[in-house]
Amino acid sequence: MKRLRTWQRPLFGLLVLLALIALGVWRMGGERPGVSLGPQQRVETTNPKVGIHTRLTDEVEVWKIKRTLEMVREMGAPWIVEYFPWAYVESEPGRYDWTHADQVIAHAHRQGLTVIARLGFVPQWARPKETTPLYLDEKNFDQFANFAVKFVERYRSQIKHLILWNEPNLALEWGYASPDAARYTALLKATYPRIKAIAPEVQVLAGALAPTLAPPGDEFAVNDLVFLQQMYDAGAGAYFDVLAIHAYGWHFDPDSPADPEVVNFRRTELLRALMVKNGDSEKTAMITEGGWNDHPRWTRAVRPAQRILYTLRAYEIAQAEWPWLEAVCLWALRFPWDQNSYQDYFTFVRTDFEPKPIYWEVQRQTRGELP
Amino acid sequence: MRRRWVLLGGLVLGGLLAALWGGAGEQSHLLLPFLRRDSTWQAIQQRGLWRVGLDPSFPPFELLDATGKVVGYDVALAEALAASWGGRVEIVAVGFDSLPDTLKAGKIDSIVSAYPFDERLTQDFLFSTPYFEAGLRVAVPTASPIRQLADLSGRAVGVEWGSLGDMVARRLQREGMVLKLRSFETPEQVLAALLDQQAVEAVLVDNVSLRQAQARGLPLVAVGEVLESIPYVIVLPLQAVELQQQLEAALQQLRASGTLAELEERWFSGQPAVQ
Repeated sequence: MKRLRTWQRPLFGLLVLLALIALGVWRMGGERPGVSLGPQQRVETTNPKVGIHTRLTDEVEVWKIKRTLEMVREMGAPWIVEYFPWAYVESEPGRYDWTHADQVIAHAHRQGLTVIARLGFVPQWARPKETTPLYLDEKNFDQFANFAVKFVERYRSQIKHLILWNEPNLALEWGYASPDAARYTALLKATYPRIKAIAPEVQVLAGALAPTLAPPGDEFAVNDLVFLQQMYDAGAGAYFDVLAIHAYGWHFDPDSPADPEVVNFRRTELLRALMVKNGDSEKTAMITEGGWNDHPRWTRAVRPAQRILYTLRAYEIAQAEWPWLEAVCLWALRFPWDQNSYQDYFTFVRTDFEPKPIYWEVQRQTRGELP
Repeated sequence: MRRRWVLLGGLVLGGLLAALWGGAGEQSHLLLPFLRRDSTWQAIQQRGLWRVGLDPSFPPFELLDATGKVVGYDVALAEALAASWGGRVEIVAVGFDSLPDTLKAGKIDSIVSAYPFDERLTQDFLFSTPYFEAGLRVAVPTASPIRQLADLSGRAVGVEWGSLGDMVARRLQREGMVLKLRSFETPEQVLAALLDQQAVEAVLVDNVSLRQAQARGLPLVAVGEVLESIPYVIVLPLQAVELQQQLEAALQQLRASGTLAELEERWFSGQPAVQ
């Protein structure tokens, strides 16, 4: 072996040092080498409507993304809802970073899951300063539509369902602008035709309304039943394919009858009745959020045993009684980190990936192991 | 030469102080606490009142009595702590999830509300040492031969279905421990299965339910280590270092004098544990 000359030795040492530093940075960057997609999987389940909302938006480690989606499959849920924030992908106009979305969608696809993609969260450049990322001026609806089109162009072969916006009947979800069904309908009108023009097979979900009994004139929210009718009155019926429904049970069991004055799981039936009344009986619906919470101190929570019973029954109702409902994606499988609030008691799996009993019981149900 | 060293030394010292005082930002209180005034403690002393935030919906720690007055273990604890520095307590009722924001906004001086320690919040708040461990325990009848976790192997163990105890029991099974697991819908049913029906030989139950049962005279004992720790602590503003010191001294005194144990006994025995 040829020996290095004297002047070459420090240079060689420097190169070795740089290589070691680069290796260290790479290892600390959270990206584990060798997180392969793995073999193509298929969801085994007795109930093809079972789904769950994942929360991978801020999950940066690929192995955690993969493990989360494996656990969805192993639970027997063929459906997930996942959030793809516009601001994360297009932080500057026309510059797209699809890295994270690519990872989530590729792993979900490999696990045999059907992804319902929720789009929202406005980048700074598309809204006035001093507004929250949920604020969007009507003049920028086209920008949102542009992003939706880019998303569909990229993932058309893997994603067939898109939810446009979230809980538009809440001021919070509009950056504290007044919730307005006509305005939301304008967003649908700006976006829906452009998606269908490039991918007519993609199903556009609208609604995803927050279940609320807000009185008329409330500053922060509009009753979801009222808002849906106002959407139809504004012409929204021609600008979505599937109604997205949020079906929280609070402390009511899932067989509590539907009642306009009550927020419970069967409020879903009231939203469905509005669809039928407005001539949309041929369309389907999907529950894209919902479920029960077993926080020991939250006023809307139930006991852990009730949560399990109610959840199993909810999946059963969807399969046995609601032929017009395609999926029930409850909130939520797991958070990337503890919220340290009642929100943690909506999850099926802890942040450290330990399954809660509800996870095992749903798995038993989808495997047909329950009596 | 000497002047140059003096100048250099001065620059280094000045830079160090600047970094500690301003440059360290949020963490500066950790570096130079003696340079910061504890405005919370000063305000408490000036008004003679310690404004304590709690959510009165979690008996026996905090609840409303028949007259609508906020009472409970935490209220009694706060009063005993304030008495140690000659002060009084003003209770401010706040929803549990809003307590940290209310403290941050300066509307209250502290949270005393069966609040679990949260490591992630140490950048925003100071905490007392734990005054109550609410975590998961193995509980058995006092005459039981079971003395530690390993003794559960091969035995019938009761849990509340879906609870933390249920989760841990399933984890022990996955790790190879043979447990005959029996599920019940409430902690009260779990304890009844242990004592009345003798359907199980041990239970995994939260320490609040266990202490309630013990305080009512039921012959139960916790064995082994805490399986999942949930320590309740008092939460303070980040700069309240003097208040923290006062509270620590007072807590130690209450612990040593047996007052904490008395408060537990008084407030836990009033709650039904086995129906």
